[in-house]
Amino acid sequence: MEHSTDALFGGYITVLVAIVMGAILPVTALLATRLLAPFSRERNKGATYECGMLPIRRASTSIGMRFYLYAILFIIFDVEALFVFPWVLTFADSPSAYWTMFAFISILGAGLAYAWKKGALQWR
Amino acid sequence: MADFVVIAPALILLLASGVVLFVAISGPGTLRPVVLGALVIAGVFALAQGAGGQNAEAFGGAVRVDAFSVFFAVLIVAATIAVILGGSEWIESRAQRGEVYGLMLASAGAMLLLTQSNDLIMIFVALETTSIAQFILAGIARDARSSEAGLKYLLTGSVSAAVLLYGFAFLFGLSGSTSLQGIAAYVAAAPEGGRLALLFAFALVAAGFGFKMAIVPFHAWAPDVYQGAPTVVTSFLSVASKAAGFAIVLRVFYVGLGGGDSYIANDWAIMFGVLAALSMTFGNLAALMQTDVKRLLGYSSIAQAGNIAVGLAAVAAGSTNGASGVLFFLGTYAATNLGAFVCVMAVSQRIGSDQIRDYAGLARRSPWLAGILTLCLLSLTGIPPTAGFLAKIYIFNSAIQASGASEFTSNLGAQMVGAPPFVANLVDGVVERWLVLVVVVAVLNTAISAFYYLRWARTMILDEPPETSALRVPAGVQGVVAVAAFGVVLFGLAPTPLITAAQHAAAALH
Amino acid sequence: MLTLFLMLPIAGALTLLLLPEDQRIKPRVIALVYSGLAFAVSVLVFALFDPAREGYQFVQRFTWIDASSAGFTVQYALGVDGLSAPLVLLTGLLSLAAVLVSWNIELRPRAYFAMLLLLEASVAGVFTSLDLIQFFFFWELELLPMYLLISIWGSGRKEYSAMKFLLYTIGGSALMAVGFLLIGLSAGTFDIAVLARTPDAELILPGALVFWMIMAAFLVKLPVFPVHTWLPDAHTDAPTAVSVMLAGVLLKMGGYGIMRIPVSLLPEQAHTFATLLATIAGFSVVYGAIITLQQRDLKRLIAYSSVSHMGYVLLGVAALTPVSMSGAALQMFTHGTITGLLFIMVGLVYDRAHTRQIADFGGLMHHVPFIGVFMLVAGMASLGLPTLSGFVAELTVFLGSWDAHPIATAFAVFGVVLAAGYILWMMQRVFFGPPSTRWASMPDATAWWERTAVLGMAASIVVVGVYPAVVTRVIEAGIEPIAAIVGAA
Repeated sequence: MEHSTDALFGGYITVLVAIVMGAILPVTALLATRLLAPFSRERNKGATYECGMLPIRRASTSIGMRFYLYAILFIIFDVEALFVFPWVLTFADSPSAYWTMFAFISILGAGLAYAWKKGALQWR
Repeated sequence: MADFVVIAPALILLLASGVVLFVAISGPGTLRPVVLGALVIAGVFALAQGAGGQNAEAFGGAVRVDAFSVFFAVLIVAATIAVILGGSEWIESRAQRGEVYGLMLASAGAMLLLTQSNDLIMIFVALETTSIAQFILAGIARDARSSEAGLKYLLTGSVSAAVLLYGFAFLFGLSGSTSLQGIAAYVAAAPEGGRLALLFAFALVAAGFGFKMAIVPFHAWAPDVYQGAPTVVTSFLSVASKAAGFAIVLRVFYVGLGGGDSYIANDWAIMFGVLAALSMTFGNLAALMQTDVKRLLGYSSIAQAGNIAVGLAAVAAGSTNGASGVLFFLGTYAATNLGAFVCVMAVSQRIGSDQIRDYAGLARRSPWLAGILTLCLLSLTGIPPTAGFLAKIYIFNSAIQASGASEFTSNLGAQMVGAPPFVANLVDGVVERWLVLVVVVAVLNTAISAFYYLRWARTMILDEPPETSALRVPAGVQGVVAVAAFGVVLFGLAPTPLITAAQHAAAALH
Repeated sequence: MLTLFLMLPIAGALTLLLLPEDQRIKPRVIALVYSGLAFAVSVLVFALFDPAREGYQFVQRFTWIDASSAGFTVQYALGVDGLSAPLVLLTGLLSLAAVLVSWNIELRPRAYFAMLLLLEASVAGVFTSLDLIQFFFFWELELLPMYLLISIWGSGRKEYSAMKFLLYTIGGSALMAVGFLLIGLSAGTFDIAVLARTPDAELILPGALVFWMIMAAFLVKLPVFPVHTWLPDAHTDAPTAVSVMLAGVLLKMGGYGIMRIPVSLLPEQAHTFATLLATIAGFSVVYGAIITLQQRDLKRLIAYSSVSHMGYVLLGVAALTPVSMSGAALQMFTHGTITGLLFIMVGLVYDRAHTRQIADFGGLMHHVPFIGVFMLVAGMASLGLPTLSGFVAELTVFLGSWDAHPIATAFAVFGVVLAAGYILWMMQRVFFGPPSTRWASMPDATAWWERTAVLGMAASIVVVGVYPAVVTRVIEAGIEPIAAIVGAA
């Protein structure tokens, strides 16, 4: 393979410039607001609502673990879909492709069955 | 189909892992015979592959079974069996025993694949499979420490995987091939413009693998994970996982770079030499202060990884027996560390503590465990008649041999303005043999390590025990430690068979 | 035969460790049998040694670690020449004496005697190994029994002393391993006999560095100023038998090693640094003697006198003449028996008095004449009285070294004067003077095991003093080839 390193790293100069520019722009903007804008140090400034009822808890609430569990299970099948699309295109040409995908989906299915049996789908 | 026969040992373990997981959730049942049976069958299969003496490739060359992979397959399977037998008390007492067995099998199976991989994609897939199983294993005790260990391991592991992938991407970008032979062909052509990029790529790859080997500066996870994870898991990590890490580093760097003859060999020799010296020094100095046995063994494993990395540097610098030195060291290290960890498991299970001071007077409560643990500590220090002594001598010898073969030239002395000529010559003489300096650092570290290893042994032998009741240990555990101790002494007195096997395995890389 | 000498103590140690706790045979009897047999073998080796024959004798060798394809072949090779034969005898004799003086040990006797025998085996291995890696194997093997013997059965700050001993030795010998590997690499073999045929082979590092890497380990072991500080501590806190072994044979490993390895294999470097070594030696002799004069503890006194006396060995080696090196070799043998006897006598006193402070004693000669007389014999031998063995050795060293290093030799001769001072002063304070009421009931050494050990050692001192040819004819045969190598360089 004739890949010139200069080309490889030459391409990276653009990336470097982008990174530097990308850093300069927001930093400049933030610095400018910090220096130019009027700033109030009042305590209520940080409150969620400036008037009306007082907030009871912190604004950030923790999300239950079970959401993550569902998210992970979802991602697995999401990625599976990603594999199935290209498979559709070669399916007709290769007889073994059917069984390959069959094995792949069976393993995923077994995983889901395991999670189900383990009680991971139970909303507790 | 033939492809699947080639990777049968790994497949057996991975399938058994699935079976064990399903059996475990469908009700109570005896799992241990299934697990051990699968391991034994896989081990026998691997041995049979090795006895055939034929190299086999599968999946278009992505997997390669040769004497090298067989050596590690046997090592990893044996280590896993020992861990499961030695830790069976703890595992069987857990509600998650099915997961422990299943994940261990999955991790071991993926390790077998890892040592057989000959292709960047295959390497990455196998490495991730074994790592993910280990992340869960580290956190499986579900107490605060164990969870912390699991999370730390997961986070550092993911970052290092990303770094590794970046390095792989560079290698692919440069050579246009994911197979190690393809990369070797690119390197052999010695494109002068590609030198810097190649070094960059290999540095990234070394960083990614450095995490698996736990060498400085990629070691930060090791002490916390070693301490926090259940001891069964820790022993699995410190023996099997570390061996697999070194195996794949050897394969990538040896095959990918053409056995130390390549035009960047000197650069990565220096890289590994420096990493080795740092690892040993840092690991030993940090271990001096430890009071927790598992944390101590964690730092000790960093230091030992440094010793093994001396062998990697020797390989790069052109030693003919550097690779076999690494393999020999790993073999003896497996016996030694397993012996030590199984003793620690058995003792901690009974005295309910991992503190060195609670090991006081162990020699009187259980002469058997204390004696074997002392033997293993001697071996870690490198005192005869144990295996650790010869392993160190052998690996240092390979480094010195490489130093003699190296054509590295120094003009540092000439640049020293005003220095007397003999000083300049001495400086050049030493710098040109810099690998000898690494060995000097290594042997001085041996003296440092003697202090903390033997302080622990002294506590066991000399101090007054808090209570004198004898510790009863089941026959199975006694058997495992006895086999480990036998290995430590056997490899220390009659190492020729293991060295021959290691040389045979290393020759397969050429 | 040498394998037998090596394996007997190991077999004894294993027998002791593997025997069940409640056996009827006492551990000490087993230890006595094995060390007695080993002593018999060592006498046989010494008697059958033929000084007229060249090279090593009783050679046994086979390939131990075969990795020849990787350039790493280690042999199991045993053999003795005139240099090591007397030291083999010394090892056998002192080990037997050490077992005898430990007759009444009560704390975990099985482990104690096992460690003592293991120590004997490792020292024997050092003296008879003809392969550098094998030599290093036994050199390091000696650490474990020594560490345990001091730290378990010692007294005072025993754990501190044991750790100090261990770290000094490991630290010193760490670099020795590198030196051995460097020498082995350039020659392609670790066989000492082969290496000695091609001295000063091309090394990949400057020869001076390699020389000092190896020398460091031996100088620590010998020991000389400034790396001697582990010795007084180890001696003071070790049990009697271990002190006997330490002073009697372990220190000799240093002197033996210097002659066998750096001097024989790197003679050019030995010539380069001869003056420096002689200076260290001369200083060590006088420094050791002056420190000895100030000691208040009997054992510490003898320990420091060892530093002074081992200086003679280094001086003899540094002169690099056949006579001086013969003197050094003889000094190693005689110092082994003399200091061994001194430590036994001090041990006997300590067992009875439970103190070693010189100031506590006085007039002991009236109460324990047997101990007193033999302390006197050992003391006189130590300060170099003619007809006792110390005289012969020291005189030979001085004669051989005078031409090469007159100033260092003058200092060393002055050390003899100081030796007379500290020995006689100690004798006068402890044994002479009016009888004391405090020690009136001290029993003399009457047990057979005490007397056998003492008489055996004393006999060897007198025999060598009156008829040195017993040992010197062997030593000269051993020194000759080494002197030839050094002379050629």
